[in-house]
Amino acid sequence: MNRYLKNLDREIRDHIERETLANIERGMSPEDARAAALRAFGNITSVTEQTREVWILRWLEQLWQDVRYGIRMLLRNPGFTAVVVLTLALGIGMNTAVFSVVNAVLLRPIGYPHPDRLVWLGDYDTFLKRDLVRTSDFLAWREEAQSFSAMAAYGRQQTAIATARGATNVNGIVVGGDFWAITGARPALGRLFRPEEQNAIVLAWDLFEREFSSDARMIGQTVMLDGRAAIITGVLPKNFRLEFPRWWIVSERQPVEAYLPLVTSNRERLLGGVQVVGTLKPGLGTRQGLAELEVLEKPLLNLRPSRDRANLHVEALQEQLAGNARPALLVLFAAGVFVLMIATVNIMNLLLARATARRKEIAIRASVGAGRARVIRQFLTESLVMALLGGAAGLALARGAIALLIRISPNAAPRLEETSIDGWVLAFTIAISAGAGVVFGVGPAIALWRSNLHGALKESARTSAGASGLRVRRLLVAGELALAIVLLTGAGLMLKSFWLMNTHPPGFSPESVLLVKVRPRFTTKEAQTAYLNQLIERVESAPQVDAAGISMWVAFSGVPAFPIDSTPGQTHTVRLNFVSPGFLKAMRATLVKGRPLTDTDLPNMILLNESFSREAFGAADPVGHELRLNQTFTIAGVVSDVKYSKLDAAPPPEAYLPFRQLPMLPGLAIDLAVRTEGDPLAVATGIRKLISEIDPSQPVYGVTTLDRALSDSIAPRRFNLFVFGTFAVTALLLALIGIYGVIAYSIAQRTHEIGIRMALGAQRTEVVGMIARDGMIIALAGMVIGFAAAAGLTRLMASLLYDVKPADPTTFAAVAAALAVAALVACWGTALKAALVDPMVALRTE
Amino acid sequence: MSTQDGRVELLQGTLDLLILRTLLRGKEHGHAIAKAIERNSEEVLQVEQGSLYPALHRLLKRGWISAEEGVSENNRRANYYSLTAKGRKQLDVETAKWDRLARAIARILRPA
Repeated sequence: MNRYLKNLDREIRDHIERETLANIERGMSPEDARAAALRAFGNITSVTEQTREVWILRWLEQLWQDVRYGIRMLLRNPGFTAVVVLTLALGIGMNTAVFSVVNAVLLRPIGYPHPDRLVWLGDYDTFLKRDLVRTSDFLAWREEAQSFSAMAAYGRQQTAIATARGATNVNGIVVGGDFWAITGARPALGRLFRPEEQNAIVLAWDLFEREFSSDARMIGQTVMLDGRAAIITGVLPKNFRLEFPRWWIVSERQPVEAYLPLVTSNRERLLGGVQVVGTLKPGLGTRQGLAELEVLEKPLLNLRPSRDRANLHVEALQEQLAGNARPALLVLFAAGVFVLMIATVNIMNLLLARATARRKEIAIRASVGAGRARVIRQFLTESLVMALLGGAAGLALARGAIALLIRISPNAAPRLEETSIDGWVLAFTIAISAGAGVVFGVGPAIALWRSNLHGALKESARTSAGASGLRVRRLLVAGELALAIVLLTGAGLMLKSFWLMNTHPPGFSPESVLLVKVRPRFTTKEAQTAYLNQLIERVESAPQVDAAGISMWVAFSGVPAFPIDSTPGQTHTVRLNFVSPGFLKAMRATLVKGRPLTDTDLPNMILLNESFSREAFGAADPVGHELRLNQTFTIAGVVSDVKYSKLDAAPPPEAYLPFRQLPMLPGLAIDLAVRTEGDPLAVATGIRKLISEIDPSQPVYGVTTLDRALSDSIAPRRFNLFVFGTFAVTALLLALIGIYGVIAYSIAQRTHEIGIRMALGAQRTEVVGMIARDGMIIALAGMVIGFAAAAGLTRLMASLLYDVKPADPTTFAAVAAALAVAALVACWGTALKAALVDPMVALRTE
Repeated sequence: MSTQDGRVELLQGTLDLLILRTLLRGKEHGHAIAKAIERNSEEVLQVEQGSLYPALHRLLKRGWISAEEGVSENNRRANYYSLTAKGRKQLDVETAKWDRLARAIARILRPA
């Protein structure tokens, strides 16, 4: 507060008192005297206000003056301003982009009614490594649980709709319970089906538009779904989207196109699994919800085989949705903050250098009457103007970055595609811009505060002014480098993880494998087998096909397996995969022991992969041993492990059965793998045509390459690596610019000294060595601090790594080597410039 | 401009001039300034005493007067205001302006 205003209240009180005393002296009674004094003074509050206003207006005037002056100064040095604004734009833009992702994924509430009361009811399946609730359990919970005002189930359901153009595969979901109420869905046309209506379908607007040309007369019509009749009861509006977690999003990125009723009338379907969400009653927490479920689950468990232990958990839906994305996003956010810190320090460095250069200007302003506080405020205003300019540019940059991120990996995190710059993001950007501005403005201001301005007037430019300033700046640059090292090490670890994930046995080459899905529907097993036989035969003999086969694994869960004479009494869980011999050939799974399966094998022969063989039989040879599943099998051989479904996990224990053992498929998908010579996508059209020639009513879809499918399975990791890597590279560049800047500045300061040294006979190499040594000391200090910090901090990103320890020595060594080279180049490059100085010119330098 | 038992309310801006004029004799605190203005105008010009303070701060802001803490006659702390060099100059300008205005008004009211 203004120093004149500080005593205003006391001054007014005094005034009235004096007047009262004067009145008493004139003969008034004390009461009258005081009343008269108050009357004479007028309204005290309004006087105080008016007096304050005098100064507030002045403050605004001064601010405006400072801003105008600041802008003039910035325009006078357009190069300098551009460097500062661009550096800041980079730092702020990256932070804004990451924050808007954090905002969309972690912070923004789900767009359904009562988002704060929505919870996830999960039962963790240890084999599938995800939640799965039995439909029968869901029905029991919904019937009996008192803690929830609503409960809904949903699950993936691919279906084929018969349209005028033939069978079209549709990405559907089944929905049950209070799904419509929980999502707050309202139909755009028609109505939403009731849970008990089992033959109905609600279309998403996109499907309605694409397949039914937005024809409103379709409402109420019957369509064939997988050969079953269903009535289109309604259409959802264009802006309706499913915001619930979808574990299958990794492989099926398309939005939900149709909503089907959860089948509850069929005993077999009741054993299937669904995802469950609920709305807690007001005032209740997840703990009460869970406690009630555990009570309800007890009798249900008694009806099941012993293996079926419940892993119940109840969580806020928002948390479940963010899921694995949370630690990754927090790490990315921290990385962004590092980059911003580096950018801020770089600018502070530049401003410190300039403050030294501007000491004369400031001394002159001070000598004509500007107070020290006023000058410092001027500096801060200039910094803030630059910071806000940088923030505005950063915002523009962030917009571009967000668009790019969404385009390259839309499924890296749930709700990522909803990322946008909203009010919160804007507030965040303004806050960090202003924060950065204050930070890099305060540094030079403090330097000024402590400096002797009178000295500045007398000082000639030649004196090595600001030697202490240079020391501060060296420290700052070392700090910058340390921050950059932490980021680089993190990026190095992620890169190594990524590389390890993508390491395949020689010859695997996933880029030449075509994947196609078919969903055969037949009424007899003979027809199904005949169809599959024909399919395999036709595809195998197609041109450019090297090997081809089918695979079908029960996606529901693992199957318990009892190796009879190896580990008696112990149960293992194994993935059962029904394959044709060509599938293993196409996947390059080679035979390790025993013999392969042939078409003429007895129906009880089975193959294991190495993982399962190791798990169930240890080092022993399992060939010839028996394995009990639902029936007893004899092990024919062992094949090598192949990662053909998920890159960032070890291959699951797996057993292969001949596909002829396949049960009747209730419309489940079969994977067809085709190893081709040359580009698999070039062959795709031919294969597709060939399949529909066999039976045009069976939908073919999901055409992709194995390479693409595998890469999609690690989309979040790719996203993290991309963002983190960008941060690390930016950080390194900024830090190197920082080193370069400090050395270049110290050379400029020492030109005269260098001239003298050279005049006295110093060799150019000695000068270069002297300057470069200076820089290398900074770099070395930064590296020591940086690696110490990295060793501590990389532990926090363990969840982002695969098969790599956070303290991986190779990565640390590689980063150190790369950094040493970069620092050397920056130092020697600058130092060489100093050596090219002509001593005669240098000596004359003023 | 209302007249009430023969006293005249101050013209806006005139107060500034009167304050500067009062301070010409030396530093004073707020109450004394108000009293001096009343006295010197033979109590014809009436200052609403409170309005003195925004005026004082306006002058401070323009740098025409300065303020310092001091001890008053009865041993109490008070803010004392005094003219600055800039204020002295301004007083001359303002006085000259006022004289011109007064002469002009006089000519209009009593044409020779």
